[in-house]
Amino acid sequence: MSYRIGIDIGGTFTDFALLAKGELTLHKNLSTPQDRSLGVLQGLEKLATLEGKSLAALLEDTEAIIHGTTVADNTLIEMNGACTGLLTTEGFRDELELRRGYKEDIWDVRLGPPSAIIPRRRRLGVPERLRFDGSVHTALDEDAARRAIELLARQGVESVAICTLFSFTNPAHEQRLAELVREMLPEVHLSLSHEVLPKSPEFERVSTTAVNAYIGPRVTRYIDQLQQRLQEAGYTRKLLLLQCNGGVMSREYLQASPVRVLASGPAGGVIGGAAFGRAKGAADLLCVDMGGTSYDVSVIRGGSAPAESRWNWHHRYLVAVPMVQVETLGAGGGSLCSAASGTLQVGPASAGADPGPVCYGRGGTQPTVTDAILILGLLSEDMEFAGGDFRLSRAGVEEAMARHVAEPLGVSVEDAAFDCWRVVNANMSQAVRRLTAARGCNPEDLSLLAYGGNGPVFAAIQAQELGIDRVLVPRTSPGFSATGALAAAPCIDEERSYLVAADQADAARLRELFSALQEHARGFLVDAGFAADAIRTRYQLGMRYPGQNWSLSVDAFDALGDGDLSFADDGLALRVAQRFHELHYAEYGHARDAEMPEITGVRLSASVAVPGPAFHGGHSAQEEPAIPARQRRANLGNGFQPTDIYRGADLAPGHCIEGPAIIEETFTTIVVYPGWRAVLDDAGDYELRRNRNDIH
Amino acid sequence: MSFERNRRLVAKRPPLTTGASIDAVTAGIINGAFETVCFEVATHLGRAASSAIINQSNERNASIIDANGRLAGISLGIPQLLFVSPLAVRWGLENSVADDWGPGDVFVGNDPDYGGGHLPDYTVYAPLFDDSGELLLIQALQAHQGDTGGKDPGGFSVDSTDIFGEGLGIPVLKLVHRGEPRRDVIDLLIRNNRFPSFAGDIAAMISAVQRGVRSLEHIVSRYGVECIKAAINANIEQTEQRFRAAVASWPDGDYGGEVWIDQDTAGNPDVHVVVNCKVAGDQLCLDMTGSDARPELVNVWNTYANTRGYAIAQLASMVAPDILKNEGLFYAVEMLVPEGCILQPPPNKPAALGAFHPAVEVGEAICIALSRILPERSAPQVYKLGMPNAVIGVDAQGAMWMDQGVDVRASDASATQGLDGWGSMCAGLGNLILATAEDAESRFPVLNLAREMRTDTGGAGRWRGQPGTCNIKQVLEPVSAMTWMVSRKHPLRGLCGGDDAAPYSNHFLCGTPDEFAVENALNAQLPAGAITRYQYGGGGGFGNPLEREPEAVREDVLDEYVSVQAARERYGVVLTGSVEHCDIEIDHAATAQLRAERLQASTTR
Repeated sequence: MSYRIGIDIGGTFTDFALLAKGELTLHKNLSTPQDRSLGVLQGLEKLATLEGKSLAALLEDTEAIIHGTTVADNTLIEMNGACTGLLTTEGFRDELELRRGYKEDIWDVRLGPPSAIIPRRRRLGVPERLRFDGSVHTALDEDAARRAIELLARQGVESVAICTLFSFTNPAHEQRLAELVREMLPEVHLSLSHEVLPKSPEFERVSTTAVNAYIGPRVTRYIDQLQQRLQEAGYTRKLLLLQCNGGVMSREYLQASPVRVLASGPAGGVIGGAAFGRAKGAADLLCVDMGGTSYDVSVIRGGSAPAESRWNWHHRYLVAVPMVQVETLGAGGGSLCSAASGTLQVGPASAGADPGPVCYGRGGTQPTVTDAILILGLLSEDMEFAGGDFRLSRAGVEEAMARHVAEPLGVSVEDAAFDCWRVVNANMSQAVRRLTAARGCNPEDLSLLAYGGNGPVFAAIQAQELGIDRVLVPRTSPGFSATGALAAAPCIDEERSYLVAADQADAARLRELFSALQEHARGFLVDAGFAADAIRTRYQLGMRYPGQNWSLSVDAFDALGDGDLSFADDGLALRVAQRFHELHYAEYGHARDAEMPEITGVRLSASVAVPGPAFHGGHSAQEEPAIPARQRRANLGNGFQPTDIYRGADLAPGHCIEGPAIIEETFTTIVVYPGWRAVLDDAGDYELRRNRNDIH
Repeated sequence: MSFERNRRLVAKRPPLTTGASIDAVTAGIINGAFETVCFEVATHLGRAASSAIINQSNERNASIIDANGRLAGISLGIPQLLFVSPLAVRWGLENSVADDWGPGDVFVGNDPDYGGGHLPDYTVYAPLFDDSGELLLIQALQAHQGDTGGKDPGGFSVDSTDIFGEGLGIPVLKLVHRGEPRRDVIDLLIRNNRFPSFAGDIAAMISAVQRGVRSLEHIVSRYGVECIKAAINANIEQTEQRFRAAVASWPDGDYGGEVWIDQDTAGNPDVHVVVNCKVAGDQLCLDMTGSDARPELVNVWNTYANTRGYAIAQLASMVAPDILKNEGLFYAVEMLVPEGCILQPPPNKPAALGAFHPAVEVGEAICIALSRILPERSAPQVYKLGMPNAVIGVDAQGAMWMDQGVDVRASDASATQGLDGWGSMCAGLGNLILATAEDAESRFPVLNLAREMRTDTGGAGRWRGQPGTCNIKQVLEPVSAMTWMVSRKHPLRGLCGGDDAAPYSNHFLCGTPDEFAVENALNAQLPAGAITRYQYGGGGGFGNPLEREPEAVREDVLDEYVSVQAARERYGVVLTGSVEHCDIEIDHAATAQLRAERLQASTTR
């Protein structure tokens, strides 16, 4: 027997997904914020019990543990990272603080600065300078460097970021600075920009490197601790961690760039979504994950969710390593509803888990989205909530909705709740449109996959607003991120800068860059226990038209196995340029065929296929109408009506349900809006289809 | 004639005619949908354009205008400019019959005397018609072009005496007719631009507004024409009511603000901007009477569209940030701008540099005036830098290149009550993304030697202004350089007892015997190896520096925002130790004594 275990730690729950012979078992355990590895061990014990084994025996038979951690995000939220210093090119110490001018709200003069992860006193310039081609303009002044390191030492730094101009073309100065730091401060954690993000421009690189340095010690400490506890419990293989690019990698790889686990939580769900969608014959998907505080949305095309480095801000810092693109909106079950200014605001402020919505009965007094959908009858007090921990209560809910929304708007409480539902819906649709705009795709061409505790309540109406006709809801929707971790493949995805006109590209240089990236990636993958001939490598060139700032990644070659680079011949750049024109046309509606594009760099992604959860689809069971368990008064968009309520436990493959109806699953509620029809497929997952004749 | 046209273009436009009514929530949802379309349009342009100022610096602004020429929705961009587009579109609307408007058309306009801002700001716009063929909405997109075909590359001529030297003025021109691009017209525009990247920019602007129209069509079909009209009316009315309610809560009175610009580009000194803000009940009136009108002034003429846009942008920053940004702001504010003064120039005046100064001084004067009654939201939404040092050269293939110098690092980030100035610039410019050294040096023969903040250049105050950066740059090949210096004599003003920011300075040929300070406008040839040093002014301080927490001053000294000496002289805080040894401590007794002396001296004075 060999197991694979996915673990996702959230704010409230730690989710486990156990894969054994293609069968998936889910488990939830309360998170243990003081030492999160404890909750992991507790949950594993329970999984072992479910399998009728000792923990040691379970771990002995486990071939991989794949973990998505929020420790990097938490470090930036709680601002309790390392005391960090920065060594940089003299004259450039303020880039991190000045953020290329970016401010999050152009209308709010009262918005304050982000907390400084490296205050100015610990950002020190050192005389040295490279030109854009890597040639030395000013040699490194080692005496000045030593003085700067001494000044950092006096301030007790635990971590040092090193970022000098054009280090990605010639790392010599950064490497020498690192040697000096190691000499003088052997204990500190080091982050070198040419390793963390070897590409221009300087702000993106210094910001990513600074974040890496700030979170690094805490992230590596956490991973080491977890790895050690697992070892003590009997697990001898490598712990694999989910990265923000949607792949997983070993601790050894992530040690140099712990920033790659930032924002990896949502990436797990997206990768799981891609696998799920492929099984259901939906290669182009809109993934929506609505939980308590946020609404995460992402796009999967052609069965995959490409990681890209864009203008990604996380916790007010720019992190430019390639990431699965996830748009996060402050809209969840806990989002606060208020009409104090005369307009109805829903979110982004949230009641969080504590006190939470009024209906949690934990002292919340401000109405939330969860309260609104309780009033609408989409949720009910008689169902168990959050996995059976407690039941919702109507006490005080209507009063709160009256005071904060209905009275200021001059409408009834039920109308106010309906308005909240409409506004949160509209906010979510707009977040989707922003994302699809930036991705250059039309939502109507996608299917919608909904998960998270609240996703399926809104999924079908969201789809309808966006012109989408097909919605998928996994039966395991609330624990989907842990399941997703199991679907993620080991992957290393890195870039190197090389700025040159496509017709001037030096094929030998391209091979040299690809070869260095390839060696690097293979080293870590083989070390993590994967066979060299199982590595699939994708080679890309970054390209743009002269003058453009953003480049597109264009495929150059794709191969399994030995890493033969003979494809990178003299004609490669021009062949790829041809593809670039087509891609540019597809993305932006025009191409400048007569112009010679520029290469901005090379990109290589090396991955290994692993056995993921066997999602399957299909509708071979005979369709038959399901029998409702009861009725309840509810408003599904067309006013309050007696509405059929179904129990998930009563349903089997082939069962179909016509909207308006509500399906209550153990951890979630699925709303079948009027004009929609839900069917359980062979795997017991839900598929909702819109009857196009019913559009009004 | 121009004044008469101005009066017609700014005249208050009526609501759209509709029998439909709408609830506030649906109207809000439609506003959100409009903002999202503007975001899509601006994002599309940013991704597809070829010029750094658009695709890297985000100098592009999308807006939606209704059939009556009213601003119906905007999204991210540069606030001042977001409020400018409606007038250029109104000129197009006036001529819509003569110009045969129809579905699939796309237009462009940039003429300052026909509702435009300045020549480089092209407004490209596309109408949307309902099923009966009636005009409903216009998707507009404005972006700064690298060149406009005038005497000097870039369109900023320090010695222009009229608009014709600056470039090609376009009141309105049809670029696409019923979906078919007009090749002859587009070629004419491309021919009148020095930079080959323009072809990509104009193609990207056209495809962006076409995309906006398609998205708007979806919204219209989702909600219906009448519902859209009712929503626009309701949103504009709601904004007017909210703004008026804010004004009603301000104490009635006349609040004056005046500012000076060091000189025009010909050296005429002390160009004067006056705004008197009259608050009476829920009515705010901005009276700009008294602003300079000397006919001999050169290059400090701000178009009427810009004056209105800059005034409204400052006011929008002084009320709750969630107010919907639309025509309702113009409805709520009365503006008196004398015809012929620098804020509403006579016809054919050059307009390029006026969009910097006196444009920003309009906002600064409003901020100074209202800081007495709205201290918690008073931060001038300005850039006081005159003009950056733009350098222009010719590459080995004979193609012209320009480093536009959008590489300020910190300037004019003022404090407001309760909040130190921070970041690079004021909040309103938070979407202008600044050029990087690595990108510039990969494209142009320049070397950026330094761009750090300089200690003590932020205005002292109970809340401190952010220091300004000193940008030192070397050119590696012979170039021509263009610049215009202001704010050396009249730096950015501190508020409510805070110190002014440090003045600007700009030196050429640094480190040679020929080094000189730029005193005014300059168009110079620089040899290979020449170094320029541009010291940007910092932000202004807010409130009396003697009231700043001594601990905050100590922190500032450790971070070298403030020197030990300035801590004593400006803040009355006596410190011991040194920054090098990280052992700065407050001498509390000496501080208390020094502050008491200073306070006494200031009260007896």
